[in-house]
Formats: sequence, structure tokens, C-alpha cells
Amino acid sequence: MEQATGVLRGSAHDDVVLESIQFNEEIRGIMAPAPAPENGSSFTALLELPPTQAVELLHSPDCAAAAREPPCHVNTNQKPYLLDSYGGNLTFPSNAALIERAAKFSVFAGENSPPEDAARLAPTSLSGAVKNEPQETDSNPCSTQGCVSDPAVETKNERTPKRKEREKKGKGSLKKSKGIADESSGDGEKLPYVHVRVRRGQATDSHSLAERARREKINARMKLLQELVPGCNKISGTALVLDEIINHVQSLQRQVEFLSMKLAAVNPRIDFSLDSLLATDGSSVMDSNLTSMATPVMWPENLADGNRQHYQQQWQFDAFHQPLWGREEANHNFMTPEHSLLSYDSSANSGRSHKLASTVRFSS
Amino acid sequence: MRNQSSVKQEFLRKWITGLRRYSCEKKNMSFFERKKAIKLSADLAMASTRDKTTRWSQALIANNTDNVFIASSSSSSPKKSSSSRSRNMTTLMRRSRPTRVKSAKKEMSSARCIAKRLMEKRTRKLKNLLPGGESMDEGCLVAETLDYIQSLRDQIEVMRCLVTASQLIINPS
Repeated sequence: MEQATGVLRGSAHDDVVLESIQFNEEIRGIMAPAPAPENGSSFTALLELPPTQAVELLHSPDCAAAAREPPCHVNTNQKPYLLDSYGGNLTFPSNAALIERAAKFSVFAGENSPPEDAARLAPTSLSGAVKNEPQETDSNPCSTQGCVSDPAVETKNERTPKRKEREKKGKGSLKKSKGIADESSGDGEKLPYVHVRVRRGQATDSHSLAERARREKINARMKLLQELVPGCNKISGTALVLDEIINHVQSLQRQVEFLSMKLAAVNPRIDFSLDSLLATDGSSVMDSNLTSMATPVMWPENLADGNRQHYQQQWQFDAFHQPLWGREEANHNFMTPEHSLLSYDSSANSGRSHKLASTVRFSS
Repeated sequence: MRNQSSVKQEFLRKWITGLRRYSCEKKNMSFFERKKAIKLSADLAMASTRDKTTRWSQALIANNTDNVFIASSSSSSPKKSSSSRSRNMTTLMRRSRPTRVKSAKKEMSSARCIAKRLMEKRTRKLKNLLPGGESMDEGCLVAETLDYIQSLRDQIEVMRCLVTASQLIINPS
């Protein structure tokens, strides 16, 4: 490739350049059949054909004339190229190969780009992606002239809908050539226009930049979520992680429901003997309950005694809770009854019970 | 990160205040009424601790204030003035961001289609779970889910503590 660089830089007579021009034209013809407006109807008809047919037609001498009239967006001071020069040994197996070759050649072609091209260049060394290559070939009027010393940046204003497809196809193979392009174009046009830090192999279009920033933000948050939800660290793949998150949220909501039911069952009135709670200052309640379950010191004993018989009567009437309370009385350790109760609660979702258990253990 | 214990204390205090309001109004409530009241006041308390900073909390309050009005005869909700909040919520809902429309022709590969469909299904599910989640876009959704999960966890911890405390009151043996 390096030799090609030197060769191409100098002269515009090389076959390679002609080939590049031709390639660009093919690409344009294949990629964007629509915007070839006012020129030869024959050429536009050609453009609508599938690539292989178009190639064959181009091969034929009849269309040489048609091909000679460049479409409007090719620069007029381009040399008239001959079809014979590129011979019949060209194959267009796929768009990817086409793009690759065109990209390689167009990068190193002469640098007679008109000022409007230059204006769109960025001074910093950027590596363009494939998507910029074909895009500039088909949308940039002067791309055949040789594009750009820095092909990456040119594409700011023009976007074709097919760019995204192309970018995915040819991305991998072009990184090397882009690197070389960077070196070669380092001392090319330097214009103090746009300073953009773009990673290698990525577009510099403002839209795609914004999208990429957004994507990165979302991915960072997803990582946080993964850390938060237990058991998500090992899972790779957003869909499965989302599944886990959904399950977790559902289980948390169910826990809230269940706890409120429990509280409603415990207290016949809603106030929970709140005076004692508030009197003893909420923080102490919290800490003590969090650390150990056996510190009834703060509860006024008379209050407890007064309520006990009342509550026991309530329990007998409350048939729903009868089996559960029986289990609970035996065991003051809060974890096990809750675990069993939770699995009772989620008996319908047999597959989820272990998840609930894990959440219960986790959240304590 | 939030100051965990202070958030929980705030939540507990607000919740208890709300419950007190309930208890003064209705003397004899059935089990399910009680349960609903407890849950409602807990949710509202949890949402108010976020203090309007998250959309799910606003949505939760907006959705539930009508219930509060219906359930209790009091004129104002114990937590915050609801009328302005519900108005904010409706404007929020109406001002939902326009979804980007991608033409179907672009999705050529079937694998991509399948993946996209899976993701859509899941995001829709998540949106249904989250209060006020329908009007959120993806980035917002993820952030709100994060916050919601943390709040739910705090709420569950406090509730559990309360349950244990009540049980200890009842049965201190």
C-alpha cells in the first residue's frame, strides 16, 4: 500500500487512479441509484440494475459513451476514463470487496479536492470508518478526485440511509487502510474547523456522535444495574440482564405487598402503637432491629401486655394467617419464616421461589 | 450514594404520619382495607423521600393521590399537596418524547430483528412495572429502574423492621 501511495500521489494518469474513479462510480451507481438526476437517462437506468448486471453492461462498449457522461455529482474536470482500461478481470462479488478497494484507492488518490471538501476536514488525526468511505464516494461530488486526505471527516453533512448497512459490512477490513490514511494525511490539509475526538473505526457525524454518547450513558447505567441486582454479573447479554432486572423488581414489589399484608394482620388498628416507636426515636428502632431481633427493651411492657390478649383474639379470627402464624411463633428468627412464607406466597411461580429466597437473604 | 439510614428514617416517619391520618379517620377497617392503607402510605412515603427528583416517584404520587382522596375523607394528602403534582404529572405525560421511527426496510438481517423484538418486549415489561414508566425513553428507564430498586429495597427493610418490632411487642418471649 505504501508504494501505491507514492505512486498515486504524483500523477493522475495512473490506471490505478482511473480504476479508483471507476470504482467510485460503480459504488455510486450501486449504492445510490436515486440521486443521479439530470444526466443521461441511460446511466440512471443503469444505476437501477443490480450490480452484476450493471457491471456487464458497463463492460460492453455500447455503454461506454453513457458511462463517459459522468453523473452530475462527479466533478467535471475529471479525466474521461475509458472502460477498456479496467478490463474484464474485475469481479464484483459483493459490495464489501468493492467498498474496500474503492476506499483504498480513493484514499490515496490525488489531492485536488476543492475547498469545500477541505473545509470539512478536521485538523486532528482521525481515523475514518468504512461508512465514511462509501458515503463520500457516492454523495460527495468530488470524491472521485480524490478524496480526501482525511476521509473520515468529510461526511458531516451527507448521510445516506444505506450507510449503516455498509458500515457493518466493511468495517473490519478497513481499519488498516485507515491507519495509513491517517499517516499520509497528517500533513495534508489542516483546517481549524472542527475538533472532534473520535475513536478508531467510528463515524464523526454529529448525529452518530450524539447517539454514541447516549449509548455509552445507557451502557454505564446498565452496568450499575447489573451490580445492583444480585446474580447479574455473570450474565452477558442485555436481554437476559433485563430479564433478571424485571424479575428482581417484581419480587421486590411482591415483598412490599406481602409485608403490608403482614402488618395489617399484626395490628388490628393501623397505628402500630406508634407512640412507643416515635418516643424512642426512630433510629434506635432501626438499628436494633437490624442488628439483633431480641431487644424488646425499648418497648414499654405494660403496653405489650395490654395488647397481647387483644391480638391473640384477632389471630384466631384471621383464618388466612393461621397456619403462617403458627410457624412464626415457634421461631423468632425473622429470616426463616419469611423465607417459607415467601415461598408460600410464590408457590404459583415455582421457578421464582429460589430467586425470592435469594433476594430475601440478600436484602437482609 | 444516598445516606441510607437517614432516608429510612425519613421514610418511616412519613409513613407513620400517614398511617396515623388513616387511623383517625376510619375506626374499623377490614383486613384488606388495612393492608391497602398500609401499602399506599408506604408507597407514598417512599416516593416523597425522593422529593420530586425522579419520575417514578412523581408518577406514583400522582396515581395514588386519587386513592388517598377516596379512601380518606381528608382534603389534603398527608405527604404533599397533590393537585399541583397531578397537574405536573399530566403535563409530563402529554409531553412524552417522540419515539424515533425507523423504517422497517433497514432491518435486513433476521437475527437483528429477533434481538430487537426481544429487547422491545423486555423494555415494555419494565415500563409496565415501573410507575409512570410508559412515557420514558430507554436511558431514562434504566436510571429510573436503578433508583426504584434502591427505594424499594429501603422500603422493604423498614417494613420488615416494623413487622419485627410489632411482633416483639406482641410476643416478647
